[in-house]
Amino acid sequence: MKYIPQYGPGTSIVAENRRRQMNPNIELQKYRKVTDEDIVLILGHRAPGEAFKSVHPPLTELPEVDCPMRKLVKPTDGALHGDRVRYVQFADSMFNAPSQPYQRTYAEMYRFRGIDPGTLSGRQIVECRERDLEKYCSTLIETEMFDPARVSLRGATVHGHSLRLSEDGMQFDAIQRCIMGEDGRVKYVKDQIGVPLDRQVDVGKPMDDEWLSKHTTIFHSLVGTPLRDDPEYIEYLQRIHTLRTKYGFMPKEERK
Amino acid sequence: MDTNATSSPLYPQIRICSIRMMKPETCENLLNKLVDVPGIRRILLHGQNIPKVIPYGPARGMENKSAIKRRITIGSTSCDIRMLVGDIILELEDECIIGLIQKICNDFFVNFGFVMQKGIFIKPTMTLVDYAKYGPNADPELIGMVDPRSKERPVRVMAHTECEHESVHVCENNALEG
Repeated sequence: MKYIPQYGPGTSIVAENRRRQMNPNIELQKYRKVTDEDIVLILGHRAPGEAFKSVHPPLTELPEVDCPMRKLVKPTDGALHGDRVRYVQFADSMFNAPSQPYQRTYAEMYRFRGIDPGTLSGRQIVECRERDLEKYCSTLIETEMFDPARVSLRGATVHGHSLRLSEDGMQFDAIQRCIMGEDGRVKYVKDQIGVPLDRQVDVGKPMDDEWLSKHTTIFHSLVGTPLRDDPEYIEYLQRIHTLRTKYGFMPKEERK
Repeated sequence: MDTNATSSPLYPQIRICSIRMMKPETCENLLNKLVDVPGIRRILLHGQNIPKVIPYGPARGMENKSAIKRRITIGSTSCDIRMLVGDIILELEDECIIGLIQKICNDFFVNFGFVMQKGIFIKPTMTLVDYAKYGPNADPELIGMVDPRSKERPVRVMAHTECEHESVHVCENNALEG
């Protein structure tokens, strides 16, 4: 029988959304268009139009090394050109943001190559070669994994994921990198570390509450789907908890 | 430590928590309605700081430019706030004005909700940090009102008019009178 990955347990809409984001065979739905130049501006690693800086010569110019891994693994575009390793960091509000740090790491590990994610409670950083990073960022911003109000790119000073939303529905940001314009569209006025941009970067209108509650990957008992509404998920979590508690690093179940 | 430096715990306190964090303009409007209510002893604003300079990362030390208004005018007093306000804590002379404050809040919060709670929200006694900052003879009114690390002192707010507002709510449960 052919193995079909399940990606995650659960019967709720949240569980379904999680599986949907993780499954690389499902194409994520695009909701907005952000140009490559805009992404370069928000990331702030290089000026638009500037050449990629490299840390080593292109792999094609390096001498052949007798390495089985090199024969096995095809290098990513960034690795092939010897790009620097750069990062992007996202902070996701607990109020029905479409993605969340652990989910991001799972989804990116299934979908992208050559990445090094770091997962924290309210933010998730991913490092990779610069060229690849810009390509991955475009997926992360343009698709259903992003909402202009509840998700934001924050290189530093990320505080806000667990706070109440601002009056206009935006996630709190001490640096005010993105602001809600009078036309109801969210614009980045600073890059991800807080340096003011020469021009505003429009990332579109925030999604409405109904869309967010249908596309979120966060359980929330007050504003969304409570975890207790998904008994299958609870059973899975309790099983993992029991196995780890009883057997530590050797999670084998007792034979009955 | 001088244990006399305490504010009276007998005064009732209420906390107004808005469901969304308020911009300074919104907070200013609400405070201007509250400041006319006679019988509010102290007002404490609690919220998330919008720092003057970027605190972390490669841009640390750079000015944190923001369109958020800094200077607000309450009554006839102006002061700077650098935050989005989440909670407004009020210390009252007695409980009879709670109904009036509730009515003002009900009328004010139309776009998003609020919760009003009664309890003790302002630190009633001096802590070690307060002692280190203010010394043994600290003003009891100051305790709990300001972050001990802050160099700024609380602002004394004067109402628009001298208590012309008449309370229409009869005090039914006055803790002070028993």
